[in-house]
Amino acid sequence: MKIFSSLKSGFSRALKSRKGVLIVWFSLFILVLVFIYPLRGSLNSAFGRSMITEKLADGFDIEVFADLGSTLKSLMSFFTAGFLCVYFTGFIMNAFLTAGLFGSVKKENGKFSAQEFFRSASKNFWSFLIITLIIDVIIYFYSGLFLGVPIVIVELSETISEKTAFTIVIFAIVFSILLLPVFLLVADYARAWKSANENESGFKAIGVGFSHIFKNFWPSYIMMILLILAQVVLGIFIILILSVWKPVTGGGVFLLLIISQLMLYARLLLKTWRYASVTSLMERMQTVDTADL
Amino acid sequence: MGLFLVINATYGQVINKVPLSERITGYKMDVKLDTDAKTVSGNMEAFWVNKSTDMVPDIRMHLYMNAFRSNKTTFYTESGKSSWEISPGNKDQDLGWIEIKSFEDKNGTDLIPRMEYISPDDRNKEDRTVLKVMLPEPAKPGDTVFVKIKFKTKLPSHIRRTGYNDDYYFVAQWFPKFGVYEPAGMRYVSMGGWNCHQFHANSEFYSNHSVYDVTITLPANYVVGSGGMLISETINGEMKTQVLRAEDIVDFAWTAWPGYAVFKDKWKNVNIALLIPKDRVKQVERQFTAVKNALEYLDKNVGPYPWPHLTFVDPPSKGEGACGMEYTTLFTSGSSYFMPSFMHIPEMVTIHEFGHAYFMGILASNEFEEPWLDEGVNSFLEERIMDHYYGNNSGRIDHPLFKVSDVTLIRLSYTMFPTKQAVSNAEYSWNYPHGTYYMMSYFKTATWLHSLMGIVGEVTINDIFREYYRKWAFKHPSGKDFVNVVNEVVKKEHGEEFGLDMNWFFNQTLYGTGICDYKVSDIRNRKYQEPQGKIESADSINNIWLKTDSLFTATAQLERIGEVMLPVDVLIHFSNGDEVLEKWDGKERYKDFEYTGYREIKWVKIDPEFKIRMDVNYINNSMTTEPQKAPLHRLANKILSFIQLYLSIILL
Repeated sequence: MKIFSSLKSGFSRALKSRKGVLIVWFSLFILVLVFIYPLRGSLNSAFGRSMITEKLADGFDIEVFADLGSTLKSLMSFFTAGFLCVYFTGFIMNAFLTAGLFGSVKKENGKFSAQEFFRSASKNFWSFLIITLIIDVIIYFYSGLFLGVPIVIVELSETISEKTAFTIVIFAIVFSILLLPVFLLVADYARAWKSANENESGFKAIGVGFSHIFKNFWPSYIMMILLILAQVVLGIFIILILSVWKPVTGGGVFLLLIISQLMLYARLLLKTWRYASVTSLMERMQTVDTADL
Repeated sequence: MGLFLVINATYGQVINKVPLSERITGYKMDVKLDTDAKTVSGNMEAFWVNKSTDMVPDIRMHLYMNAFRSNKTTFYTESGKSSWEISPGNKDQDLGWIEIKSFEDKNGTDLIPRMEYISPDDRNKEDRTVLKVMLPEPAKPGDTVFVKIKFKTKLPSHIRRTGYNDDYYFVAQWFPKFGVYEPAGMRYVSMGGWNCHQFHANSEFYSNHSVYDVTITLPANYVVGSGGMLISETINGEMKTQVLRAEDIVDFAWTAWPGYAVFKDKWKNVNIALLIPKDRVKQVERQFTAVKNALEYLDKNVGPYPWPHLTFVDPPSKGEGACGMEYTTLFTSGSSYFMPSFMHIPEMVTIHEFGHAYFMGILASNEFEEPWLDEGVNSFLEERIMDHYYGNNSGRIDHPLFKVSDVTLIRLSYTMFPTKQAVSNAEYSWNYPHGTYYMMSYFKTATWLHSLMGIVGEVTINDIFREYYRKWAFKHPSGKDFVNVVNEVVKKEHGEEFGLDMNWFFNQTLYGTGICDYKVSDIRNRKYQEPQGKIESADSINNIWLKTDSLFTATAQLERIGEVMLPVDVLIHFSNGDEVLEKWDGKERYKDFEYTGYREIKWVKIDPEFKIRMDVNYINNSMTTEPQKAPLHRLANKILSFIQLYLSIILL
């Protein structure tokens, strides 16, 4: 019951914060566009007036790009460096923007205010950065541990059968995936709590995050699984649309851009639903704790 | 008596009704696998017939297994940089070697004092992979040299085609094996002599077609696969003995492992056996389909597969060093427990390795000296088979979101290689510099053969291979012989359409180092200029269209950037929808096609059907006055959306 009421409340809060989500979407869009625009220009220039791009009408064709030769190497270097820049900038930007989102979803009946969004974002930026950095490090560490170790064991073993090796690796992957929601919950609880307690430190918030999840494990975990599933379904849908749809006219390409951006906005809305639901669940837990007192 | 038995056995027929080859050499072996010592030891009786008109004073034999004796052998000094490539290992159990315990001729004369290890290729004293034995008396023309050898072969622990790992054995290049005596006039030889090269890192083999009678004794729980037909099997307590026979093949290899499951199938009269790890059962059907596809295609387009038996092995991961190798009636593929069906890698390996039954198995070229003639020609057939059976655009990868053909991957493996002009194709395998062995022998060859097919047509190329098979099956063709067959067939089918012969093609592709690159430099559409000034003779166009301002002089400007000159088609499309297909011999550095009329050129394509796969850059093969940017913009937009999606997932 607690799960569904939190999900319901979270959904309503996320919808109310749609303008905040729009700010997040627009920021990410501009960030990636700044990287993609020169890439598009480079591609235009590399192919010039060639008709080889006809071969791309049915989708990606490795031969078309491979023939770029040294230009391809330059493009790949540009892509790699640009992508890393986008990732790190996005990481920092995300800390700022999620601080704003958590600020705007913390009150059930409040209206969205851009002023409040940016105030909360700037107030909690450093703490959110620390929280996401630490949780990311933990996720990377355990992924390396739970995925890397079995893979190394399987690789080194000369007597293990391939079926067993495959089973071990699949088990490791499934285990890591099942563990992921726990750390997402820690991050979300920590940020929700920090948002409600702005004068507390980010480190303390992580501790609170851990304590909240263990205090209320199953409802939190099940709710997170449901929320992740919704995001995964939409994510797969977006990937399918992007992969299958191959418009060949300028108008079609523009329509693809619009639709894909709408879907990406929807995905960010679902992510905000996650933040809001966890915030709502935390608020309920705190209410129960206060009542117990 | 021994001589009589060996020769009688090897000339007699068990498998086919008539011998397929001359049978210059023959082997009868009785060996035992010691699974504790990792050795194969026993006796061998073998013969070599002097079919030349020379008096031959010696015999030469390959002792390939000695390549694994130390890190100073030619095999290891030529190898790459990783630890397993630079050394067979430090411990005794890691090393591989072959020890001759006794060596006698037909009279029982001890030949050991007459033995000498030689290194004809690099004078490496540490290399003992070639043995020269002076005969007590020179072999006269027509003589048969009979030898009886007791040997012990220790298998290396790191499998590089051959060796063991735990209880897995792949036993190849394991017995003393005759080189090939080449009389004057054979291949490129002006004076008779032994062709017996050392074991090189980047090289394969060269042997006469032989008959093998092999008896192997090993623990009874081992499953055995070999290039021979099983004649009998007897179990004696914990050991079993298999008697195997193979006819007219160039090498005999075998494998033993308790973990194999054996599956059987049939194509026409060929009994096919697949040895595969028990937990890879899901791969069985696709493996059989692949090998039957290859059988069908090569049977139709090259010639019949002449043996009634074929064994192929999918080694387990612990035997992966044995993957992708060919021994004519035995070959190894390579798959894994989890191999998605859209990735046709096992099929590719199976088809390629089976193809070697033809290109070096039946058509037994010298892989040491002309690796392109087996690997390159075979890769050409492989790409055609793959794309024929698994889709023109999806021969190698057939995923709804990503497809790649085998032809494309092979072409790119050549065109993208940075040092593709380092050397010509016509080099000894170990002389390819800067890591170009695979690119040159496999990919460049397959790519220029595809270009040859583009020029002469698929029907002719199939006829070339059928004729090559007819003329050279169970012999030792050289590159020169292949070129001669091409010249004959092309002349027969096309007259002098491509010149007196096709040597101009081979001089550039096989023997040359140039690259092929054609380019559309520009499209120029100029309004026709009215004659001005003092014009002595006005042409008809001037007279008729003097005042017309929609008349154009349209020019397609083409350029040959590379050194290679091949005939190409040029397709020119005009503003009124007309299309003109021009033939360009591709020789000039610059070439203009000019047209005057009420039409502008809209686009130009050189080689519109991508027949010349050697062209290293297809991007500059075409030009349009109205570039279509939509596909590139679509791609950029998709990258944009995918990165946004990725960030929305990865960022907490």
